[in-house]
Amino acid sequence: MTRIIAGGLANVAAVLLLAPLCEGVLRKVTARLQSRRGPPLWQPYFDLLKLLGKEDIESGQSPGLQRFVARLSLAAVLTTACLVPMGFPAPMNGAGDVILLIYLLTLCGICTLLGGLAAGSTYSLMGVAREMMTMIALEPLFAIALLIGAVHAGSFRLDDVLNGSVYAAKGIPWSGLIVLGVMVLSFQAFVQRAPFDMSEAETEIMEGPLMEYSGPKLALFKYARAARLMVHSGLFIALFAPWGSELAFPLGWLLFWAKMLALVLLVTAVAATHARYRIDQAIRYFAGLLAAAFAALALAGYGH
Amino acid sequence: MLKNLCQKMFGRSLWVYHANSGGCNGCDIEVLNVLTPYYDVERFGIKLVGSPRHADVMLCQGPAMRATARALRAAYEAMPAPKLVFAIGGCACGGGIWHDSYPVLGPVEKVIPVNFYIPGCPPRPEAIIYGVAVAVGLVDKKVAPVEFKQLALPIPRYHPSDLRGRDEMVVYEKAEKI
Amino acid sequence: MSMSSKLKEALIGLKAGCVTLDYPAQPRPVASNFRGRPIFDAQKCIGCAGCANNCPAREILVFDVCQEIRILTYLGRRCTYCGRCAEVCPEKAITMSQEYETATNHIGDLQQRLDLFMSTCQRCGRCFKESSPLEQLKLKGYRIDDLEHERWIFRSRAYLENEPAADDIEIELD
Repeated sequence: MTRIIAGGLANVAAVLLLAPLCEGVLRKVTARLQSRRGPPLWQPYFDLLKLLGKEDIESGQSPGLQRFVARLSLAAVLTTACLVPMGFPAPMNGAGDVILLIYLLTLCGICTLLGGLAAGSTYSLMGVAREMMTMIALEPLFAIALLIGAVHAGSFRLDDVLNGSVYAAKGIPWSGLIVLGVMVLSFQAFVQRAPFDMSEAETEIMEGPLMEYSGPKLALFKYARAARLMVHSGLFIALFAPWGSELAFPLGWLLFWAKMLALVLLVTAVAATHARYRIDQAIRYFAGLLAAAFAALALAGYGH
Repeated sequence: MLKNLCQKMFGRSLWVYHANSGGCNGCDIEVLNVLTPYYDVERFGIKLVGSPRHADVMLCQGPAMRATARALRAAYEAMPAPKLVFAIGGCACGGGIWHDSYPVLGPVEKVIPVNFYIPGCPPRPEAIIYGVAVAVGLVDKKVAPVEFKQLALPIPRYHPSDLRGRDEMVVYEKAEKI
Repeated sequence: MSMSSKLKEALIGLKAGCVTLDYPAQPRPVASNFRGRPIFDAQKCIGCAGCANNCPAREILVFDVCQEIRILTYLGRRCTYCGRCAEVCPEKAITMSQEYETATNHIGDLQQRLDLFMSTCQRCGRCFKESSPLEQLKLKGYRIDDLEHERWIFRSRAYLENEPAADDIEIELD
């Protein structure tokens, strides 16, 4: 029991402390790829602290819902973090299984929708429409990856599935390789970075669903966005690159963080060199990936 | 205590909203230059945001025009406190060359209160970075009003009303005329 | 979306290194003919108001307090640094310096104000000659730019505020 609570708290603390650092690494490496010096690594911490100190202007159609959604977004991501193995097995794997994980991930996306709808201005609604279209095409991809793992492992328990079970077929794991390719090609969209950040962070072209938020609520949304990067990376590593997690405590843990850093650098490199996709281009892209994922699911059903 | 920390962090991460209320876009281009790798103002933590609700600093260019004065005021009021306004360029500081033209109401300070002025036409990107550094407190400002007053009049003044006498004897009599 | 072009893009960015100039820490030199803030040299200025008449932004104001004192004010607010004042000045009293670091939080910091003594002619007691001999006898030509509202006024007056209308020379025709 105490192990569960300690593990959960450790995960949540790790995400809270290190999520802005991941975003700092992302901004610094983006700057270096663009031949400029870039902000210091601790810049997102300064940003969040400054946002917490600003006045909170309550505008938008339903301020009460705005307050609720701001807290819900960070809470949903932190709850998902309790189910992610970060160097040691997922602390709350007795509390839920893969289905709960899929729903929690969808909840993280729905928070953005609710945020934009609560604000109710024209630009927010445009961002919400794009986010809805993206979510419909995107969430099934991760769900199918988890389902393939569940099919191979034969159960829905988290520590069975999040253990590289996608590769567990006899012979060459075709379904595992196909779904690995699908996930690699669509990982950028899960963490909402270029080229797929059309919906939320599109502050350059339209303001997106976050337009009417200011001060502390905006800090919570930005925190949630940075934390999503970490949580999704953790899930990706657990599902597709779990090698080395059986090592003894310090090594396995450090290896996990090394893999996380490598994944963040990969996300940064792709984000810095790609331009943003239009929504229809992105949907067509995801449709192709969905077809491949369904093919992989069918193959998994047949045991490959 | 947390509030103190938040206020100290204000100078380290300024988010900027760019509002051009009718200028010629010369200062816009200089501001955009400041965000490019050569001058890179992001190393001070300054980021360009698209919504005034996210921003701390509003960079105003162009004079306040009749058509855009209301929009400028609305954007200013949409910013959450604490906020700063920088008036960049000659047009925003004083009305510009077209200060007496028909659509121009005057400098930006007729519509919103301005905290810092960066004059120039257009100001160099270094001048804009210098202005931001003065606002954040990194450097001191270098201009002060100059006043030259003539303390003592250098030569005697000869004025027709100082003439005294008549016919051949006409002399100047010095009188304090000022 | 070809990978090779993105890789090339990333490599170009990395190969250029870090091109950011270290600006506030190290000063940046300017070109030799850079026009920065104009500096008014009061020792050389003769108060002709040529700069004020030529400023396209009407940024130099002239006010005559009395016959012998003229106040010349350069408000730096909407100066476009065009250099016309420096070009026109007959005494080369205005130099376009190379200062561009003129940011300030109080707009009055840019002001340069010269209270000038205008030497009067020893014969007629006036400062400038008029165009025709008849006018030379009559008009004093005082400038009245509005200093409080910082407005430029296009006319001059034949008399000062606190003196009656000029009536000093009577022309007798036989």
